[in-house]
Amino acid sequence: MRTKFSRRLASFGAVLALCVASVLAARGARGPFSAAAPDYRGRGPEAAKVLIAEFSDFQCPACRVAEPAVRQILSLYDGRVRFVFKHFPLKMHEWARAGAVAAECAGRQGAFWPYHDRLYDRQDEWTNEKADAFLTGYAKDLKLDAAAWQACRRDPAAAAAVDADMKDGNDAWVTATPTFFIDGRRFVGAQQLRELGTLFIDKELKK
Amino acid sequence: MKPRSAATLAARLIVGGVLVYAGAAKAAAPAEEFANVILNYGLLSPDLALPMAAVLPWIELALGWSLLLGVQTRTAAAGAGGMFGVFLLALGHVVLKKIPLPNCGCFGDVTHLTPAQGLMFDSLLTALCAAVFAYDEDSMSLDAWAARGR
Repeated sequence: MRTKFSRRLASFGAVLALCVASVLAARGARGPFSAAAPDYRGRGPEAAKVLIAEFSDFQCPACRVAEPAVRQILSLYDGRVRFVFKHFPLKMHEWARAGAVAAECAGRQGAFWPYHDRLYDRQDEWTNEKADAFLTGYAKDLKLDAAAWQACRRDPAAAAAVDADMKDGNDAWVTATPTFFIDGRRFVGAQQLRELGTLFIDKELKK
Repeated sequence: MKPRSAATLAARLIVGGVLVYAGAAKAAAPAEEFANVILNYGLLSPDLALPMAAVLPWIELALGWSLLLGVQTRTAAAGAGGMFGVFLLALGHVVLKKIPLPNCGCFGDVTHLTPAQGLMFDSLLTALCAAVFAYDEDSMSLDAWAARGR
C-alpha cells in the first residue's frame, strides 16, 4: 500500500468501517419485543387485523398531548383495531411509577380505562407531592373497592407488571414516550401517530 | 510540532469526537425517535423528518471519523461547519419562537442539552471547524500519510 491512490482508498475504507463499528457498539444487544398485556389494558377485538401497542407514561406531557389522537383513532377504527397500553414510566418523572401502579390496580377492578383517562385529563393536578392523595381520590371517585385497591398497590405483583412492561419497552429500544407500535412498526409522538400512523393503519387494514 | 499545528489537531479531535458521539447515539437508536425531536422544531413535515433522521446521524459519523483520522480534513471541517450552521439556524428558530423544547436532540437520548446550551455549544464547534479549515497543516493525519505515497 504505497501509492497515494491506495492510501486514500484505505483512508476512506477506515472511515466507513469505523462508522459502522461505532453504531454497532452503541446499539448493543436487543431482545425480542412483546406486546403482551393483561386483558384489562386492551381495547377492541382480540382478533382485530391491526394491533396498536402504546408505551406511555402518565406524567409525560407529550403522552397527554397524544391522547386526543389516540382516542380519535380508537373511535375512527372502532372494532377494526386492537389497542394495548404498556406502562413505561420514565425515571425523570417522579410520580409516573406511582400513577402506573395505581392504574394497574384500578385495572384489576375493571376500571383501567376510566382511571387512565382521569390520570391524563388531570395530569397537572396529581403530579406533585400530593400525588398519593389525588390517586386515592380518583380511585374513590370511580367507586373502586378502596381496601382492595390499596392492598394491590402494596402487592409486589402490581409493580412487577409495570416492570415487565418496562422490560418489553427496553427490549424494543423505547426511550421516548409515547411510542406506538402499529403491527410492529414504530411511531413516536402524537404527530407521527396522527400523520403517518393513520395512513399505515389504513394500509394494514387493506391487506 | 508547532503550537498552531497542535491547536488545530486538538480542534479537529474535539469536533470529530463530538460528532462521532452524537452520530453514534442517534444512529444506534430508532430513527423515529430522532424524527420526533426534529418535528418538535416545527420546520419539517413527518414525511421529510423521518428520512432526515435516518441519514443525518450517518453524515455526522462520517464527518466525525474523517476529522478524527484526518481524512479530507479541510473538506470535512467545511462540511461540519456548514452542518453546525444549519443547526444554529434551527436552534435560533426554536429560541426566537419560544418553542418549548426540553432537549435539543443533539445527542439523541444520551445527553440532554437545552436549545440555549445547544446554541452555545454549536457556536463553539463552528469556530473550531473554521480554525481547522483555515489552519490545517497537520502531519498526524491519514491525509499526510496518503500524501507521502508514491
